[in-house]
Amino acid sequence: MVCSYRCRMAHDQPLIHMQRVMLRYPTGKMALSGVTLDIFQGQFIYLVGESGAGKSSLLRMLYGGLRPSSGILNVQNTDMRAASEVRVRELRRRTGIIFQDHKLLNSRTVFENVALPLRVQGWKTKRLIPRVRKVLTYVGLADRLWSYPEALSGGEQQRVAIARAMTANPPVILADEPTGNLDIDTARRVLDYLMALNRQGTTVIMATHDLHLLESHPGRVVQLHAGSLAVGDL
Amino acid sequence: MNRTPDQIPEQLNPRLPGGFNLPPFGIHQFLALIIVCVSLWALGVMWLAMQAAGQWVGSWQQDIHLHVYLDSSKSEQAQKLSASLSAIPHVESVRKISADEAAIWMRSWLENVGLEQKELAHRLPVSFELTLLKGQSEFIFSDIREVAERFGAQVNEDEINLAQAHQWLSQLSYFAGVASLMLALAMALIISNTLRMTLLARADEIHLMRLLGAREWFVRMPFILEGILLGAGAGVLAWLLLWPLVWTTSDWFTALQVDLSTWGLLLPLLFGGGLVGGLGSVIATARVVSSQSTS
Repeated sequence: MVCSYRCRMAHDQPLIHMQRVMLRYPTGKMALSGVTLDIFQGQFIYLVGESGAGKSSLLRMLYGGLRPSSGILNVQNTDMRAASEVRVRELRRRTGIIFQDHKLLNSRTVFENVALPLRVQGWKTKRLIPRVRKVLTYVGLADRLWSYPEALSGGEQQRVAIARAMTANPPVILADEPTGNLDIDTARRVLDYLMALNRQGTTVIMATHDLHLLESHPGRVVQLHAGSLAVGDL
Repeated sequence: MNRTPDQIPEQLNPRLPGGFNLPPFGIHQFLALIIVCVSLWALGVMWLAMQAAGQWVGSWQQDIHLHVYLDSSKSEQAQKLSASLSAIPHVESVRKISADEAAIWMRSWLENVGLEQKELAHRLPVSFELTLLKGQSEFIFSDIREVAERFGAQVNEDEINLAQAHQWLSQLSYFAGVASLMLALAMALIISNTLRMTLLARADEIHLMRLLGAREWFVRMPFILEGILLGAGAGVLAWLLLWPLVWTTSDWFTALQVDLSTWGLLLPLLFGGGLVGGLGSVIATARVVSSQSTS
């Protein structure tokens, strides 16, 4: 049994490995406590739980916005407790992030917003133009390239955020309540895009309150309650 | 009007942030350019003034001699006076000028008016020429006066005044250096504050770039480049604005036999401005901390 487990670990290394991860804010508040979880490449994970359960904190730890106070957190072969700033930046370049508040730059066009991750990775303008156009066509915004985010609807803004997260073709996409402010139909369409990315092999980890989306878009559910893992797989 | 994909040009030039792309030039940058330009112009004027003063004094500062005169009736004291003058610290040498040499010099100075050389030699006092060491002490002139008075001799006060002017000029150049340094610091802070405003205005963009994994140099480079360009641009502008001043004062300086080299200030102002701008931008960007920094 031991041998088979080791063999499995060697050949099927989890993309994200958490073991008794604890996160305590400087204020003393315990955000996460003893979370043990493995996430494998190609999974679609729903992080669910009440407000303050620790969903956003967990996501922030996965891109190095927060460091665990104790335990083991390994993301894409990066030890997040010991990783240098350079390693964390490298990890972020391999991670697509969709924020709850979109974090779109209102002074930049849709094109410039979506091109930003490629620009950060050092792509030349000539090279990134076809890629950005392709991604925006994929999310149905090819005709809004030169619009500014403020001129877009909430659903369109979320699609721009998805396009930005997927434009560098990362192996992992982290989405923090991407459907939080959208109506049901728009939320389903946004989820369709994320599901389609997942079918292409991208691991998607999405924090959400919208449990009804699970009916139409099934995935692995990880439930958090008061900073602890309540239920593993639903 | 929205464009369809077919209408999107293949070659376009989006304004992408980071790296070597400069942030947009706004009113803050324009004001900083003007303020730094005025400061650099003041610095340029000061340097030109020092250059002019240096040239004006330079005609005699390389070879400063003081003369001490002893009445010919007290000529028996001459040897003792010479020895006492030689004993003063910072006096390099004391040379007794012969009566004939003094008479020849006097005749030429008086443009050969009808005076007999022998008569002049008889009337002129015994003269000593003192050569001073470089880096004179503070009290050398009073020491020379004191020794001269002890023997009833006189010192050429005009020469002392010139030598003191040379000392004051050296001190002035020191103060000019300190003032230049303080102005440079002030300019660096002006540029730093201007860039700080730009950084605050673009805090979201910087924060997002860091979240996307941008390297620090990539985030900071546009602001450092902007600082260097602001400083260098202000330097060139200040240099151009020095020319009207030089042209309007050229007759006056020509009369003083001063030939100002305004071209020589171009590179110091250009690179000095760039350096100050770079320093200001480094100060400004050093304080940019993102709430989602990796550490």
